[in-house]
Amino acid sequence: MRTLGVVLRKELLDAFRDRRMVLVAFLLMPLAVPLVLAGASVLGERRQVQQLEATLELPVIGAEQAPNLVAWLAGQNVRVVPGPPDPDAEVRAQRREIVVRLDDAFADDWRAGRPARLELIFDSSRPLASGATIARVRSLLAGYSETVGTLRLVARGIHPSVANPLQVGTRDVATPQSRFDLSQQLLPYLLLLLAFIGGMQVAIDATAGERERQSLEPLLATPASRESIISAKILATAVFALLSLTITLLAYWGVFALVPGGALDASFALGPVALLQLFVVILPIVLLGATVLTALAAFARSYREAQGYLPMLVFLPMIPTLVLMVAPVKTQLWMLAVPFLGQNQLILRVLRAEEIRAAEWLVSLGAAMLLVAAAWWLAARLYHRESLTSST
Amino acid sequence: MIRVEGLRKSFGTRGGVIRAVDDVSFTAADGSITGLLGPNGAGKTTTLRMLYTLMQPDAGRVLVDGLDAAQAPAQVRARLGVLPDARGIYKRLTARENIAYFGALHGLPPARIDAKTAELCDALGMDDFIDRRAEGFSQGQRTKTAIARALIHDPRNVLLDEPTNGLDVMTTRALRQFLRGLKDAGRCVLLSSHILQEVAHLCDRVVIIASGRVVADGTPGEIRTATGCANLEDAFVKVIGSDEGLLA
Repeated sequence: MRTLGVVLRKELLDAFRDRRMVLVAFLLMPLAVPLVLAGASVLGERRQVQQLEATLELPVIGAEQAPNLVAWLAGQNVRVVPGPPDPDAEVRAQRREIVVRLDDAFADDWRAGRPARLELIFDSSRPLASGATIARVRSLLAGYSETVGTLRLVARGIHPSVANPLQVGTRDVATPQSRFDLSQQLLPYLLLLLAFIGGMQVAIDATAGERERQSLEPLLATPASRESIISAKILATAVFALLSLTITLLAYWGVFALVPGGALDASFALGPVALLQLFVVILPIVLLGATVLTALAAFARSYREAQGYLPMLVFLPMIPTLVLMVAPVKTQLWMLAVPFLGQNQLILRVLRAEEIRAAEWLVSLGAAMLLVAAAWWLAARLYHRESLTSST
Repeated sequence: MIRVEGLRKSFGTRGGVIRAVDDVSFTAADGSITGLLGPNGAGKTTTLRMLYTLMQPDAGRVLVDGLDAAQAPAQVRARLGVLPDARGIYKRLTARENIAYFGALHGLPPARIDAKTAELCDALGMDDFIDRRAEGFSQGQRTKTAIARALIHDPRNVLLDEPTNGLDVMTTRALRQFLRGLKDAGRCVLLSSHILQEVAHLCDRVVIIASGRVVADGTPGEIRTATGCANLEDAFVKVIGSDEGLLA
């Protein structure tokens, strides 16, 4: 136990004296993450506002057949322009988001009171780029259709409600915290990633680096047990990762507090309890990351080999986020035992201000700590190999 | 005192099994300097590594002050001061911090560490770099730091693997002087070397190892007499059966 403290203190001193390491972990990461998220948020917000409120330039083929529609659209902040001769190519080439083509018989049908046909040409494989515009055009046309339909019924002496057997009302139960934008979708992943590999520099330096610089052999020639040495290195890695994570979170809150516009800060009204919950959810991942990184670095024969394993580790916390994006599922208890998936779910629930039951806490923490113990055992075993020091 | 009995160690490599150490026995007494002499690759470093419990012998045993290294490895390590082949000091720490770290690992109180560091700093001539970070140290400064680090807990037994490797003449002389001081203080000093002059000058007893076996064991005089050679170099060539490795 005393040895553990001695080694821990030395590893931290050693790590904090490495300026590049400190710069990356405590300045670059904490700045990069929130700036990227805030940037994505602001851009998304601005785009949405533009798509919904700016004057829409709408190419319509055969507009001369429907002067009333054009006039009505102008009143809805839409400027109708002549349509291109080859609308399909124009849309495919992304020069237009949407093109409306009126049927050749539109004017005749319209005057005869038959359904007049028109066609929307758009590309549904670009939902982020043009989804809002498409929806806007659809709803405008539906609105016009309904208005004219109502007038026709009234002209024939029929009450318009006859044509509306259903009246559908909506009530959105989302709390401000549960209304997510893109940046908050990414937040759990980024938190878990930072927690998992935030201490990588320390882990590699303290294990593979120590081996490469040949200071491991004299260290092992002291009475210090290999278990306490490896435990101290794991703890040093965890402390470093935790500091980096804390600074990043503070920076995240800071950046979002400075960003103008109230829409962003809805979910950042997290109280101290929620913050504490986040911390408890993430702590096992910090320990797991530190232990796995240290085991990998003890397994690797060199600094470079150890760094070669990192892309694999970056991918791990990503898997559940990807799965959840593709196939959103309802949380079940067993899922909380799956590392990253469980934490991901719990982080989302903390952010959504949902209650987490004791059994759920127990499963999540218990499973994570079991994994930490297994990884620790592996790391300690790797540290007992004779080839640990004879690689040179 | 260090006793080694029938030590063996093999390594499996891609090319087959290599017998690095094949039946090595010797005794290194207190108050004397014992030299392990042998060409490169003779098994000196492997033997020393088994002494400080970094490796487990396949057969045989190591006794340090009567303690079996296989049964009480931590206690054995506590009684040893080790200068391994790889000096490896921490570059971002000062020489003093490097030394203090090992003092703490040996469980010494800070006051003891300070006092002993001052003493070693004096004896090894480290005043001009003791509080500098080890980044950019010369080979001699690194070796001095590593030696001070190995001796911070005032061990009864001192193991040094090629201690004068890469040192200039003045530093080598100073180091020899320092080792004689340890011997006069009643310590058991065991060093490995492939440099004949060094062993001939410094050691009270020489154990010559070749191909993992002890081929001669005695005082330099005894070895010369036994082989009928006028100097240790000829004797060495005679007992190892070739002059291979001497020039290395």
